[in-house]
Amino acid sequence: MRLPCPFCGDRDASEFVYRGDAAPVRPATSEGFYDYVYLRENPAGPMREHWYHAQGCRNWLVVTRDTRTHEVFGAVLARGAAQ
Amino acid sequence: MSRLASGGLIDRTRPLSFTFDGRALSGFAGDTLASALIANDVRLVGRSFKYHRPRGILTAGSEEPNALVAIGAGAAADPNSRATTTTLYEGLQATSQNRWPSLGLDLMAVNQLAAPLFVAGFYYKTFMWPTKLWEALYEPLIRRAAGLGRLSMEPDPDQYDRNHAFCDLLVIGAGAAGLSAALAAARAGLRVIVADEDGRLGGRLLAERHEVDGRPAADWAHEVVDELASLGVRSLARTTVFGVYDDREYGAIERVTDHLSAPAPGQPRQRLWKIVARRAVLASGAIERPLVFGGNDRPGVMMAAAVSTYLNRFAAAPGRRAVVFTTTDSGWATAEDLLASGVGLAAVVDARDVAPVAAERVRAAGVEILLGASVTAVHGREVRAVDVRTGDGGSRRIACDLLAMSGGWNPAIGLGGNLGGRPVWSDAIHSFQIETPPPGMTPVGAAIGHFSLAEALRDGALAAAVIASDLGVTGPIAQPPRSSDDPSGASPPGQARMKKSKAFVDFQHDVTVADIELAAREGFVSVEHLKRYTTLGMGTDQGKTSQLNGHAVLADATGRSIAEVGAILSRPPYLPVAIAAFAGHHRGRHFRPERRTAGHDWAVERGASFVDAGLWKRAQWFARPEDGDWLDTVNREVNTTRGGVGICDVSTLGKIDVLGPDAGRLLDRLYINTFSTLPVGKARYGLMLREDGFAMDDGTTTRFAEHRFFVTTTTDNAATIMQHIDYARQVLWPDLDVQATSVTEQWSTYSIAGPRSRALLQRAFPDIDLSDEAIPFMAATEFRWQGETARLFRLSFSGEMAFELSVPAALGDGLIRMLFNMGRIFDVAPYGTEALGVMRIEKGHPAGNELDGRTTAGDLGMGRMMSRKKDFIGRALAERPGLVDPDRPRLVGLKPLSGEVRLRGGAHLVGLSDRPTIENDQGYITSAAWSPTLGHSIALALLRRGPERHGERICVHDPVRGADVEAEVCSAVFVDPEGVRVRG
Amino acid sequence: MAEPLQITARGKVALATVMARKGVDAAAIGASLGLTPPTGPLTAQDETMTLIGVGPGAWLAISEYGQAGWAAMLGGKLAGIASVSDQTSGYIVLRVSGEGAGDLLQKGAFIDLDRTAFGVGAAATTVIAHIGVILWKVDDAPTFDVALFRSFADSFRDWIAASAPGLAAPSSPVR
Repeated sequence: MRLPCPFCGDRDASEFVYRGDAAPVRPATSEGFYDYVYLRENPAGPMREHWYHAQGCRNWLVVTRDTRTHEVFGAVLARGAAQ
Repeated sequence: MSRLASGGLIDRTRPLSFTFDGRALSGFAGDTLASALIANDVRLVGRSFKYHRPRGILTAGSEEPNALVAIGAGAAADPNSRATTTTLYEGLQATSQNRWPSLGLDLMAVNQLAAPLFVAGFYYKTFMWPTKLWEALYEPLIRRAAGLGRLSMEPDPDQYDRNHAFCDLLVIGAGAAGLSAALAAARAGLRVIVADEDGRLGGRLLAERHEVDGRPAADWAHEVVDELASLGVRSLARTTVFGVYDDREYGAIERVTDHLSAPAPGQPRQRLWKIVARRAVLASGAIERPLVFGGNDRPGVMMAAAVSTYLNRFAAAPGRRAVVFTTTDSGWATAEDLLASGVGLAAVVDARDVAPVAAERVRAAGVEILLGASVTAVHGREVRAVDVRTGDGGSRRIACDLLAMSGGWNPAIGLGGNLGGRPVWSDAIHSFQIETPPPGMTPVGAAIGHFSLAEALRDGALAAAVIASDLGVTGPIAQPPRSSDDPSGASPPGQARMKKSKAFVDFQHDVTVADIELAAREGFVSVEHLKRYTTLGMGTDQGKTSQLNGHAVLADATGRSIAEVGAILSRPPYLPVAIAAFAGHHRGRHFRPERRTAGHDWAVERGASFVDAGLWKRAQWFARPEDGDWLDTVNREVNTTRGGVGICDVSTLGKIDVLGPDAGRLLDRLYINTFSTLPVGKARYGLMLREDGFAMDDGTTTRFAEHRFFVTTTTDNAATIMQHIDYARQVLWPDLDVQATSVTEQWSTYSIAGPRSRALLQRAFPDIDLSDEAIPFMAATEFRWQGETARLFRLSFSGEMAFELSVPAALGDGLIRMLFNMGRIFDVAPYGTEALGVMRIEKGHPAGNELDGRTTAGDLGMGRMMSRKKDFIGRALAERPGLVDPDRPRLVGLKPLSGEVRLRGGAHLVGLSDRPTIENDQGYITSAAWSPTLGHSIALALLRRGPERHGERICVHDPVRGADVEAEVCSAVFVDPEGVRVRG
Repeated sequence: MAEPLQITARGKVALATVMARKGVDAAAIGASLGLTPPTGPLTAQDETMTLIGVGPGAWLAISEYGQAGWAAMLGGKLAGIASVSDQTSGYIVLRVSGEGAGDLLQKGAFIDLDRTAFGVGAAATTVIAHIGVILWKVDDAPTFDVALFRSFADSFRDWIAASAPGLAAPSSPVR
């Protein structure tokens, strides 16, 4: 699998570390923290995910990937990515 | 000898000697092992897997199920090599497999008598009872009888290379369609890679008697290869594309020197290719389908197209008197090839009722033609005669020593299904086709059921034109080359079966028609179940010649159409690939890279023994001749440090610069305690949690300037914490103005510990004020040394008066040598990770064993370090009732009641009068060591309500390593509990 | 006639990581340094210094003549607009040049190093044989510089030694 790092270009997936769903937003208070840490949607279809380009530019990316087909639709830098 | 007097693409000026089962034979350059064996009249090449039936060569390609031999001897021997794709070289040694004592007399053939037992589902039905015999009897028996071919059991002695390549177009297969596509694409200016499993490009152009653009097809192929080279195309011969992966990535294996009798030393044997291709053309051709009838596995029964290949390309005749049994027009081409080579042709048996045009030419040559007829049985251990049921229902026996069969053509679309696109049935070509190829791939030619040469040439050129246009490269569409042609006649394969003697479907795994019918009766009606239950298609040939026939039998047996029955998915690798090829350079010592500190060479000189800490090599201890064993060494190192001075290389710990106006603010959100208030020139111990509230990592962080923090982590977590810091500043709080980068490698750091540490350092750096006033405990300073900035920290992990000294790593070797020079008068000794570990256990410092991801700050006695005044990662969930429950196991020390007893990590703690059960489990030992300082074993443990139970006696239960012992619960700080020493 | 393949460790270079502070763009850094850093995985160069784009707002700054106090000097010039970390000891820099230089690196790197895809001035942070590398193309000889963490030096050398024989056995079609 190859991921399109916005800075480095297309790279083999082994350069990255996968973290998980990019959708959850860290709550400002304790309320909703359990859900933030543990609960996930797990959709069958396109999903926005956090990947870290550990062996490249060391930037966190939001990658849109179809969990059924592995098709990658694009990636943006997480910093400044609209939630 | 069955070598034809003339013809073929072999080089008769270069004879080659080789052996088969010790017998000296000869062939020519350009032969494969199979063609040379055929030219030497060798008809018997192996024994089948289950029944040990005598087998001969069936095909001329990589789909070969029978002719599996071992090539070479010793460590480099290659079992299960297909003789059909093994290039002949001078001195080649081939040995047949799966027979004892010899190929001709194989005693294991008795399996045939037990045949009724060895039916489908054998492995599931037998060796079940009595179960206690499994380990002692069944498994050894099965292991001895199992497998095809034998491993040398020696390490693979060869080198395996790797390469990466990128291109606009990858052409898979260099036959007519592939060469046509490659040529058109290359002329249009695309970056092209062509791969073909053969050593010579051309595919069936080399095996059939056609003309392209007015000249012999093989010559045309030769010229195309030259032009491709001149256009900068990378042509990979002897290279099998074995898999298609996500995102247009292809795996291929190139056999670099397997075909050479004496490769230059050091040359790689094979090369693994990872290719990213914007587009691909699948020009993999088609595989001829066998016919199913009694005795169809006998030596002398061959695929018709293979017979043509041996005659035309290799000038080797597989027999003297042939019968052709066909349901296709291409079988008639073989009949004409036999006639043209002067091989006797007794009859052509065509299951169809209508004869093709070629029949007239064949009849005119005096050959008998039987239409609407089928071969029903084969006579002889090797073919001597065949029985034919004629169109009018009668029966004939025809003497022959070669039966060439053609049951149709299956597009070789294995790669097309690698990404999950299941093939679909096509009535038009009576086979399976790709419906949804992998993204970017265009199948062409025979791979899509276009079996004629003209179609192949046209398909290739057209596909290339479309691809070029797709990629934005415009140009004239060249006319595809003209070919002499063959009208292709695809017709449904007839199935003629005799239940009396064995009608084989899967030759390699000895799966017969009866096996498939039995499986169907037993309810295994899905093709996926059929495969696993009968092992149809599970051999090294992966069903290339058997899958379709097997599914046809299943369809019949279950009253469905083949379309309804469907096909299985093909998975990589298309052909077997040596594991060593995937490993490449990464074997043995090079499995992973090794990281060495600047002080490594010095440590080697001092006799260090090394231990792995992640990828790092760390000195574990420094044995001296007077030490009895490693424990003596470690004890000596501890005593020297606590009594005088010791030096330890701690360079491997993670180091991260956290910089910028909001650096302190970020650290406040990462650590449980506060760092934004840390004064410049001070260090502070910190603990980080995961967001679920559990402890993640610890370390000391020092502030060197208002906007410059120096964070340290444990060795193992360096990368994790770097990732964590980047996540925090890029994703969680991008509004903060903070930068971070790893400086683990920039600094070489040594711990100088012990009552004489200050004296040693003063001697080394006479101009620096090392007094308590200048550098109190937990202070840090920078100074110049050798033209660089050096850093001195007053930190202690050992509990002794200690310093950590950092210099740029380029000076790390010089520094350690200088310190040991200066330290000689203080009897300084190096200490390694073991002594480091003993001392930290003596001081009750949590380390990796305690920070295993299941403990909280409170468990480790750091609950009060958690700030209540700020948010930090892990704060919210650390307050969950389950994580603040006072009943949780918490950190304590343990000491044995009697001196010689050893406490061991992992032992569990139960009440003295409790039975050791899960319900009574109160905790376990996390770290244990022999304390030379105290003269007895000590341990750190997590014990329920531990801190409230000091003085209590507890049972240490260790069923794995020894008897239960009693221990006393005590403070985890065994040595200098007041912390006097560290403050000097 | 192409130069033979040579691999040398560049001893006299100084390195530092330069990371732009929030809201600071390449132009601002360029104004302070006298050389505008590249936006993207590229290099920018003047007589004494090379700036290599290693990430958004992050560069590896190289003093080609090993200027003493390099990081401190950069830190002074960029005070308030960028954070600087000395990396002179942290990386070793190997110069790989001559015939087969690109082919050798291609064996390890899974990025397109072909002349048409990776020209002079191109840079990439990637991985070779499980070892992180920053590589950039210096000239068309071809010459590449490869920076890697110093602790991996021996392992990287082992990979070069294992891969070099494969250069002499190029894949070729058979007539």
